Amino acid sequence: MLFVHSPHGFAGYARFEDSMDLAPTISTQGLSRRFGELVAVDGVNLRVAPGQFFGFLGPNGAGKSTTIKMLTGLLAPSAGRIEILGIDLNAHPVEVKRQIGVVPEGMALFGRLTGAEFLSFAGRMYGLDRTTAAKRAAELLDFMQLADQPKKLVTDYSHGMQKKLALAAAVIHGPKVLFLDEPFEGVDAIAAGTLKSMLQGMIARGATIFLTSHVLEIVERLCSHVAIIHQGRLVAQGSLEELRAGVEAQTPAGSGNGAQASGEKLTLEQLFLRIVGGERRTEQELSWLG
Amino acid sequence: MISTVHRRSQLTAIAELRWRMFVNGLRSKRGKMELVSRVIVTAAFSFGGFGGFAAAAGTAWYVVSQGKAEYLALILWPIFFFWQVFPVMATAFTNNPDSGELLRFPLSYRSYFLIRLAYGYFDPASALGSVALFGVLLGTSVARPALFPWALLVLLTFALFNLVLMQTVFAWLERWLAQRRTREILGVLFILSMLSFQLIGPAIEHLGKGPHPEFSRAAQITAQIQAILPPGIAATAIAQTSHGKLALGSLSLVVLALLTAAIGLLLHLRLRAQFRGENLSEAAARPKIAHVQDVQVGWELPAFSPSVAAVFEKEVRYLARSGPMLLTLIMPVFMLVIFRMGPMNPMRQSGAFNRTPDMAFPGAAAYAILVLTNLVFNSFGGDAVGMQFFYASPVTFRQIVLAKNLTHAVILLFNTALAWIAVSYLYGTPHLAVSIATLAGLLFAVPLNFAAGNLLSLYSPRKRDFSTFGRQNVSQTTVLASFGVQIVIVALGIAGFVIARLYHNLWIATLLFLIFAVISIPIYVVVLNRIDGIALQRRETLLAELCRA
Repeated sequence: MLFVHSPHGFAGYARFEDSMDLAPTISTQGLSRRFGELVAVDGVNLRVAPGQFFGFLGPNGAGKSTTIKMLTGLLAPSAGRIEILGIDLNAHPVEVKRQIGVVPEGMALFGRLTGAEFLSFAGRMYGLDRTTAAKRAAELLDFMQLADQPKKLVTDYSHGMQKKLALAAAVIHGPKVLFLDEPFEGVDAIAAGTLKSMLQGMIARGATIFLTSHVLEIVERLCSHVAIIHQGRLVAQGSLEELRAGVEAQTPAGSGNGAQASGEKLTLEQLFLRIVGGERRTEQELSWLG
Repeated sequence: MISTVHRRSQLTAIAELRWRMFVNGLRSKRGKMELVSRVIVTAAFSFGGFGGFAAAAGTAWYVVSQGKAEYLALILWPIFFFWQVFPVMATAFTNNPDSGELLRFPLSYRSYFLIRLAYGYFDPASALGSVALFGVLLGTSVARPALFPWALLVLLTFALFNLVLMQTVFAWLERWLAQRRTREILGVLFILSMLSFQLIGPAIEHLGKGPHPEFSRAAQITAQIQAILPPGIAATAIAQTSHGKLALGSLSLVVLALLTAAIGLLLHLRLRAQFRGENLSEAAARPKIAHVQDVQVGWELPAFSPSVAAVFEKEVRYLARSGPMLLTLIMPVFMLVIFRMGPMNPMRQSGAFNRTPDMAFPGAAAYAILVLTNLVFNSFGGDAVGMQFFYASPVTFRQIVLAKNLTHAVILLFNTALAWIAVSYLYGTPHLAVSIATLAGLLFAVPLNFAAGNLLSLYSPRKRDFSTFGRQNVSQTTVLASFGVQIVIVALGIAGFVIARLYHNLWIATLLFLIFAVISIPIYVVVLNRIDGIALQRRETLLAELCRA
């Protein structure tokens, strides 16, 4: 059971599935990060079980990217402990990095290499031998539909192509855990379809995926579990059903909320807004627009 | 249409933006270091500027008061060369943001052109050149006060000419270096010009033997040719007026102005293309049918790990695709040619180098180290967001930095070999003792340079675009520190050779350099072994600096 709380009065419990009985693939204890006076991430305790497709959600500036950066070794925590696959990230960063794949916010690409050169480079950096790296690079380029312009430099790729290439580089060594920061941002439907198909294939083969995204529909469709961070604190964590049950349990009967009143399931967007208390400003504040 | 008021408002906004960028750059901790560095660099440049000003003023006063104002060309030519060559030779000191980024705003072409010129004016070469021209103006005006307004007009036109030419050269070089075909043509032209220069030396040498009448004729022809080139024209414009021939002086000024306009037109052609959103991408057209491509197997380096080989390959590919960087790397040979024509020329009766042609090879090797400054002292600058990859990958920074240093060492060896060949061709084969002493000198200088470069790459990184020429955001701390390290290296090198010459035994220099190397190599190893800790400690600064948009 995990305590779920909200700055807007919601409080409840979300129950972990049986998979949490296994040793978690990703776990954090009291993970915090300060930037001067600002506490960007405040005592986050995350547990992601093996094989989960885990969505990490939160409003802008909530601490999602800061958390994923700490989980992947791109940022040092101010306090707390991170374990990936049971290995302490702080004590054994290289050992952890060998087993994970990362697509960070900036995509971590080398612009003045071709796609093939970059993938071959990435493979060797992750310990593959030269021949295997080249073979996998060719397969990935083909799968990602990036093989038709072999001389094109990465810097000349479209945004969607860069996302696909970044994902290809993150999986070339067959990682057990994949961290993706906004993988679908700025990606068209065709590219998104390719990415989703690859990610679902990885889950089917037993990998664990941790992603952040603002596109709640995609998270709802892909992820089995989610966590919501708000103002640096984890306010919900569990399967979608568990979150739904928790929110519904906290809502007084007959309060007249659309979906609930009509007996329909709350969507992830509704859950998210209920938990973080999203409020929309009226248009009159920008009356000069249009 | 953009109204005048709107245009003025935009220009004001851009000026404020530049000012805010400057002020905000001083706010962080790095900013404080930068502030100190900038103060020191500014002081050094001020000193140089004052020297140039004093020399220009004194010479101008002398020649004008002697009634030989046409000799002003003797000052205007060096100013011209400095203004045009310094930004190419010392790109580390060029600190101009990319004005192309302003194109997203509704900026008129006229404003864009003006901004590009204004940004160019903040280049140190422009500033120092202007100061020297002011010296010329002062010297001329003191000698002949009546010449002041005319000299002011001529020198302003000459300054504008230099400014426009510098921007035009940069803009076109960038264009030609951006694509393989034009890059290759430029390379061939460069080699041809190098070979052509070779003909000048022997010709002058031949003419210089004895009182050849051809020599004075050649000197006359040279004087006539220089008189129809911009520095000569500017000098003529002032000289003719000082001799009371205002019409001829005016004609020269008009010619200078027309030349400026012609160069400005070339700049306009380039900037207009940029303004219209020119794309110099070399990507091939999309084929109709996609095909599975064979990916070439990566490189292998004997005695090094696969990850070192991978980074080495990546570095070499990056450099091979950077036209501006390639041009910088062949500068040592270019400098040898310049010296051959200049102070090292055996024809000259004065100057330190003509007595020591043996020092050409050590000098070129030292310059080969100098041109690597941008790479060695900001080795992660070109990686930009790729830095995230390094931090996310299971490879230690020790290996990454080692691979980068290996790349730099290979370039240095290549440049040194090239310099040796060039020296042999231009001055005769360097003496064995000199060659060995130079290699021993590299053995001590390179580890020291790399150790300092590795530290500064982590402590004072700046994002760098390998595809653009100049227009880089450089760290003044790095500039200053690299300058300091190189002064120490050059000073030790000179000291070694001076001591060896005192004892008439150049092998002493080799011995001294090997002793220095015994100290510098462990320094390099210690720094390399601590790189991982430093990289981890500095990761936020590095990622923030290199991954910014």
